[in-house]
Amino acid sequence: MGILRLGYLHVRVTDMAEARKHYIETMGLKVTAEEAGKVYLKGWDEWDHHSVVLEEGGVGLAKLGFKVQSEDDLNTYENNARTFGATVERMSKGEELEVGQGIRVTTPSGHVVELYNEITYLGNEVGYLNPYPFPRHETGISVPALDHMLIMAEDVALNEKFFMDTFGMYAVEQIRPEIDSPARIATWLSAGQKNHDIAIVSGKDKGLHHFAFQLEDWSKILRAADIFAMDDVSIDITPTRHGITRGTTIYFFDPAGNRNETYAGGYRAYRDRPTTIWTPEHIGRGIFSHSRELNAAFTEVYT
Amino acid sequence: MSVLTVLPDNVSVRAKPGETILAVLSASGYGYRIGCRRGGCGICKVDLREGEVYYDHPVAESVLSQEEIAAGAVLSCRAVPVGDVTIELRDERLKLNSALLRSIRAVKAPTTKE
Repeated sequence: MGILRLGYLHVRVTDMAEARKHYIETMGLKVTAEEAGKVYLKGWDEWDHHSVVLEEGGVGLAKLGFKVQSEDDLNTYENNARTFGATVERMSKGEELEVGQGIRVTTPSGHVVELYNEITYLGNEVGYLNPYPFPRHETGISVPALDHMLIMAEDVALNEKFFMDTFGMYAVEQIRPEIDSPARIATWLSAGQKNHDIAIVSGKDKGLHHFAFQLEDWSKILRAADIFAMDDVSIDITPTRHGITRGTTIYFFDPAGNRNETYAGGYRAYRDRPTTIWTPEHIGRGIFSHSRELNAAFTEVYT
Repeated sequence: MSVLTVLPDNVSVRAKPGETILAVLSASGYGYRIGCRRGGCGICKVDLREGEVYYDHPVAESVLSQEEIAAGAVLSCRAVPVGDVTIELRDERLKLNSALLRSIRAVKAPTTKE
C-alpha cells in the first residue's frame, strides 16, 4: 500500500542541553529513549516510538525515515531505487533504535532516506478508548505530531522524479521557471492525502530547509508564537499563510539554527488532483501569502 | 563598555559585556544580512579586522571551519567582542533600522562617503 508518512528524522544540534529545552519544554515533545549523544522524542498524538531524534554535534539533517505499510513495500521500493540507479542497502533490525528491518536509500541530492514497516508501538497520550481531545497537562506548544519536511537539492527536477518514480509520490504544487518548463525551482510531493510529505527547493545538496510539526488551527499558531516570544525562540517568519498549500505557519529556528515550522490547515490532497503551478513573478505570494515578498532567508538560510 | 566599529560604514557603537555582535548592532538600530541568529546557517559571517572575539556557544565546524577562523572570519550572531573590536561586512552596508536606537548607542556618527 506504500508510504504511510514521514516517520522520523535525525537532526544534529550543537548543544544538547539547549536542544532538549527547545524540543521538550517549548515544543512539548516527550523523551522516549536516550543513548550517548542521542535523544529520541515523540509528539503526544504519535503512537510510534519516535519521530524526532536529536544528535549532538554539528547542525543539519542526518537522515529521515518513511514508514511503509508492509514488507512487500520495502521490496518494491528497493527494486524501484535500484532501477532508478540510486544507492540502496538493506538495514537490519535494530540499526535504528526500536525499528525493524528496512532499506536505506541515498537520493540524488545525497539525503539518506530509510524505509521501514515496523517500529515499537507506544501509543498516544489520550488513548484509543473513549479519548478526550488532548492531554490534560500540556507542555509548551504541545505539538501533536511531526508533519512534513523540506529539503534542498541542486537539481530539483531530478529529485522530484526520484521521489515520484521510486516512492510513488505525486506532485501537488510546483514552482517552475516558466509555465511549460520541465525544470523545477521547488516541488511539493505527497504520498497520501497530506498536501506534502516532503518538499524540495533549489539549494545545496544534503541541505535541510525545515521540518514541520502539526498544530490544530490558526489559534494554536498564534499561541505558539506567543510562547516562542516567552522562550526567546528565534522567529524567522511570524504567523502567516502560505499561498502554496494554503497552510498557516510560523517559521522559526531551534537553538542550533535548524529551521522548524508549525503548520496548520491547508487542503487535503488526492492522487488525481491537478498539480498547481507557480511562476517566478508570483513566488513571493506563493511562499508568504500576505507580505508577498520572498525574503532572502527562504532560499539562502538553511542548515 | 567597549566599542564595536563596523566597516566599510565606519560606524562605532557601544557594546555591553557578553553581547554578541548581532545583539550590539540590533540594540544600536542597525541591520545587516542575518539568518537563523543561532549559529546554524552561517549567512551572517563577517571579517574581523581588529580585536578579539569569543564564542559563548559551540559552533559547528561545518558552519565555521578552523581555516575560516584563522583567516579572520567571525560568525557574528554567536561572536562576543572582547574589548574594542573592528569588523568588516561582506559585500554589504549597514542598514539603519532605528535612528532612535542609534542615538542611544552610537559613539561616532557614520562618516559620510562622497
